[in-house]
Amino acid sequence: MGKVILEVKELTTKYITRFREDVYAVDHVSLKVEEGKSLGIAGESGCGKSTLALSLMGYYFPPLYYTSGDIIIDGRNISGMDPDDVRRSILGKEIAYIPQAAMNALNPTQKVIHFVEDVIQAHNPKATKKEIYELARERFHVLGLPEEVLHKYPVELSGGMKQRTVIAVSVILGPKVLIADEPSSALDVTSQKMVIKMLRGLMESGMIKSMIFITHELPLLYNVTDHIMVMYAGQIVEHGAAQEAVFDPLHPYAKGLMGSIIVPEEGLRGHKLTAIPGVPPNLKKPPSGCRFAERCKYVKPECKGAAVAIREASNGRTYRCIFTESELRETYQNGA
Amino acid sequence: MKGYRKYFTTKLVWFLTTFVFAFLLNFILPRLMPGDPVAVITQRVTQGMTSQSGAQAVYEQYAEQFGTNKPLWEQFARYMANVVRGDFGVSFSQYPRPVAQILGASIGWTIALQFPAIIVGWLIGNTLGALAAYLKGGFDKVVMPVSIFISNFPAFGMAVILLVVFGVNLRWFPTSGGYGFDLIPSASWGFVWSVIVHYQLPFWSVVLISIGGQAIGMRSMAIYELNADYVKYARFMGIKDWKIIGYVFRNAMLPQITGLALSIGTMVGGALVAEIIFSYPGLGYTILNGVIGQDYPLISAATLIITVMVLIANFAIEIIYGLIDPRIKAAQAD
Repeated sequence: MGKVILEVKELTTKYITRFREDVYAVDHVSLKVEEGKSLGIAGESGCGKSTLALSLMGYYFPPLYYTSGDIIIDGRNISGMDPDDVRRSILGKEIAYIPQAAMNALNPTQKVIHFVEDVIQAHNPKATKKEIYELARERFHVLGLPEEVLHKYPVELSGGMKQRTVIAVSVILGPKVLIADEPSSALDVTSQKMVIKMLRGLMESGMIKSMIFITHELPLLYNVTDHIMVMYAGQIVEHGAAQEAVFDPLHPYAKGLMGSIIVPEEGLRGHKLTAIPGVPPNLKKPPSGCRFAERCKYVKPECKGAAVAIREASNGRTYRCIFTESELRETYQNGA
Repeated sequence: MKGYRKYFTTKLVWFLTTFVFAFLLNFILPRLMPGDPVAVITQRVTQGMTSQSGAQAVYEQYAEQFGTNKPLWEQFARYMANVVRGDFGVSFSQYPRPVAQILGASIGWTIALQFPAIIVGWLIGNTLGALAAYLKGGFDKVVMPVSIFISNFPAFGMAVILLVVFGVNLRWFPTSGGYGFDLIPSASWGFVWSVIVHYQLPFWSVVLISIGGQAIGMRSMAIYELNADYVKYARFMGIKDWKIIGYVFRNAMLPQITGLALSIGTMVGGALVAEIIFSYPGLGYTILNGVIGQDYPLISAATLIITVMVLIANFAIEIIYGLIDPRIKAAQAD
């Protein structure tokens, strides 16, 4: 087992709405990312993926609030740290983030190099423009981006180029953890591939030590990450190695999610696409029992009773269901 | 830079075309007004004259001198030739003063009144708007309604209120003129002080009117920019707030620059109300007199000045914009 770079223990965070209601968007989430490894987080829109990303960066600005749990980056516990201190000493340097809307992530009226200067000087005020330029040039070169990009305004770059520029800027300080929040969702397939290749390259070259990749596109996760975590209604429902999580999911929601993937294969045109019926529960008043019970095909009356704990399965996998692994496998065999 | 040159040339051609049409209209429109100004002057000069043929001779002499007896196209040709030489003709209503002299005497007052007022109003308005967007809460709740209230005041209303309150009731400031009636323009302290005192009411009436609109515009632009994705990303990268605010307000300022340039361009028209109410000896007041006296040369020349100022302001915005906003440049390069 490699060195643990990021460890999150029982992290719970909430939003407080303008009507003073608490919404627990991240509910007792625990995870570990080892050096050189990547973790994928999957789930449908609104399940708390992006909130989890903000939470484990320590980015608590209203309406998001920290409630409990630990976030340990490379041995340093940052939970409970003042968000402004987090911004000063953690963000960009220890943890970097590639935002969902990377297309608009750069200030349209600022040349790329000037933004790079601002980023580096925010963490190292003594850095000279010349040093910064040399570093940026070298990094851009390694990442296969032309040097001219540095002298351009974001509006002069294509979508894919903008996205890659954002990635290159995000990792310029060599962060320990890179969080990529749907970095490729808005791109065409060719640009998507380049982005994925670039992210893999970052890991291989050691420019970043570990990565968390958030997406709703499961095939992408399988291609990029070592482990996959599936979230539902603020909770982890399945967590395991990428291969198993995609091809042999245990939790009924994870199974349904994998079943909703559109695979272009011959003879499958007439094949009915499966989708999970229903909508996720309202997190202002989450159900007391299993949160997926309302939409689950295999629901039993006891599902709706008390909160469901996480179970351990073979190979270090975990899932959140009242059924044992063998019970689930049996149900799936009979059901399918 | 090649794209920019093309952008520049296109804009220049457009503005020259606009200028030609505006020049033509400036000449024709006043002359389409009903009434005969030469007859009015003749009447004034021939008062008490009994001989009908004498009055007729005077009329014809003036018509000959002003060229009003010639066909319109010939008048236009003469007018154009004169304007090129900087000669705007002789005023009808203030005969025999040349138009250039009348305008020269009043334009300075207008610029001295309007230019600082517009700049000050713009600066105060934008600062208030930016602060309201950034501070939100109580400050915003006070600035916004007050801005809306003030910006909806008609210009004459504001001028009249200031006049009544500070001029008539409190007697802090004089109510009319550019300087004391009893003074002769000179470089003495007394005269300068008189100018400063007379300056206050018209100045603040223009400033107050423009603050509200600018503040509202800046506030909504800044709120929009503050929520932009690049602000979040800059925060995620650990950049300090004051730096991010710098990005935001620079971007929010861009559309406001258009507003500034336009109000500088239309400053003569904007000055009209304040100048009339405070009898300020500026261009607006002169135009009003020109229109009342059917003074073709004066109206044509004054509107020509306004046209040229608006065009230059517009042209300057386009050119400056192309330089400061890379988005315009990128769009033009396609």
